[in-house]
Amino acid sequence: MDVKSRREKAAEAFAAKGLPTVREEAWRFMDVSRLNDVAFGGAWQASSLSFEALSELVVVFENGVWSAEKSSLAGLPEGATVRSILDCGDARLGSLADSDSGFVLANMAQFSDGVWIDVPAGVSVDQPIHVVHLADAAERAIHYRHLITAGAGARVSVIEEYVGAAGTRYWTNGVTEVFVADGAKVDHYKIQCESEVSFHFQTLESELGSDALFSNHTVTVGGCLGRNDIRGRLLGEESEAICNGLYLLKDEQLFDTHMFMDHAVPKCQSHELYKGILSDRARGVFCGRILVREDAQETDAIQSNGNLLLSRAAKVNTMPQLEIYADDVKCTHGATIGELDEQALFYLQTRGVDPTRAHAMLTFAFANEVLDEVACSMVKPRIEALVQTWLAEVTE
Amino acid sequence: MALLEIKELQAQVEEKQILNGINLSIGPGEVHAIMGPNGSGKSTLSNVLAGNESYEQTGGEVLFNGADLSELDAHERAREGLFLAFQYPVEIAGISNMYFLKAAVNAVREHRGEQALDAMEFLDLIEDKKKMVKIREDLLERAVNSGFSGGEKKRNEIFQMAMLEPKMAILDETDSGLDIDALRIVADGVNALRGPDRGFLVITHYQRLLEYIVPDFVHVLVNGRIVKSGGKELALELEENGYEAFEGAAV
Repeated sequence: MDVKSRREKAAEAFAAKGLPTVREEAWRFMDVSRLNDVAFGGAWQASSLSFEALSELVVVFENGVWSAEKSSLAGLPEGATVRSILDCGDARLGSLADSDSGFVLANMAQFSDGVWIDVPAGVSVDQPIHVVHLADAAERAIHYRHLITAGAGARVSVIEEYVGAAGTRYWTNGVTEVFVADGAKVDHYKIQCESEVSFHFQTLESELGSDALFSNHTVTVGGCLGRNDIRGRLLGEESEAICNGLYLLKDEQLFDTHMFMDHAVPKCQSHELYKGILSDRARGVFCGRILVREDAQETDAIQSNGNLLLSRAAKVNTMPQLEIYADDVKCTHGATIGELDEQALFYLQTRGVDPTRAHAMLTFAFANEVLDEVACSMVKPRIEALVQTWLAEVTE
Repeated sequence: MALLEIKELQAQVEEKQILNGINLSIGPGEVHAIMGPNGSGKSTLSNVLAGNESYEQTGGEVLFNGADLSELDAHERAREGLFLAFQYPVEIAGISNMYFLKAAVNAVREHRGEQALDAMEFLDLIEDKKKMVKIREDLLERAVNSGFSGGEKKRNEIFQMAMLEPKMAILDETDSGLDIDALRIVADGVNALRGPDRGFLVITHYQRLLEYIVPDFVHVLVNGRIVKSGGKELALELEENGYEAFEGAAV
């Protein structure tokens, strides 16, 4: 099916189905009916938000539209291309994000722009490609569509960063599809700092060939209501998928992370380390499902989700799920919900650290386990600063 | 004036009375040892002195440098120069030993009106102190006590003590879980820190530690009371005869 037909079909399906409701199992903790009550008809405008580029390769979207003026792609190695998704003729567009979620359907039908990053076989892009999404136009629905295609042995890192103007309401609804061919390596980072009254939904789909590596680190701070669907398919042997994340939620935020890792073939690894820190009356949902199909012998899958509650009114629902049909596998999962360790707090205080600082140190330490896994030296300081700022705000 | 003056101290844990009126006076430069059987109140005493809120002081008073200790929170006691080496040092994942030490040293320095150490000055201080307790470089980079052996944890406690230079140090069963080599290293570290202005309270079950850290005074703690005090020879007497004779006397 070509892209045009896929979009038409998605439009029909979305018209019939609409957004999901809490009656669907995968959405039972996530009432998105508020989105139906907003008429997202705000006018487009250029963005006046500033941003700090983390790389010389930067693609900037202003309220849903590619800004040629603010983007810069000089230095892209020969063969690699970075262009608007609207110019994408690759038939794989829309083939991976095939779930019948209303959000994915709406995106496929209505996406206005996005980036297609194509790195052909054997090509390495040394610098990360920083994709910045600026949002400061009110009452707009922005459907971003991104596609990353890495050929055999190719290397590329992509940072998706979402920034919103405080107090501005809008809806970001993104889909990113990542194809990682045999022997290729794609590192993907997502930093989500949308406005505190915005809605943010994204589906990230990846497909790995053999001996391939895909990593994703997601940090969620913004939005009042949102969800990340992160799905990986391991289709070639000896591949590895890493999906780590951190969600920092406060006030009345409700954020859901749904993870699905599909082991279809033998000898693959998947690792997921997810941590949440929740304050005030925030609510978090984590659902991580690992499927090990009958053929996927010698699978090595580890998933853990830890949550730290800083307030009595904060709440988390966590659901790790293993579904194993092969008999020779190594799979573990675990989930925790807790408060700071009293013994550790006392220990720090006996060394002269005041209680406020001790709380902040231990809270940062909790998040630090995820930050430690971030290898990219350009992204790491940004995420660390983000976490420190957030902690300073909630613990002050 | 005594550095630490404990008068008729009573304390409870989870509504159970453990300390039944302890009297003890420690002067600058003195090393006191408290010996006692299991359940005599040794750990309760060290926790109460360090300001653990799970332990409640129900009577008596403790003066540290003349000030009422019960008025101070744990971190304020530390900043005033009181140090507790834990029997079971706490593992803290996600905070490196170096970062932890820097936060501690600078909190204490700022309290004393001294300038916080910058990165270079801090490293110099580390270099200076780490010889004293022979602590391995990689332990400083690792998370606080995480995955340390028993001996490494205790050495890390003494290293922290050396870094913080307290006026009064309490060692809570620092010998427990140590082999003879580790015991000697820890004791050497403590002895290097002995000085005319610093007081030590060494809490232990066994006499062995006191062969290496020779005390000026030994006290026998039984059922939450000090039932006998004497010189270092008292430790040997205990080693020979056990606590039994005293346990009868205390009831």
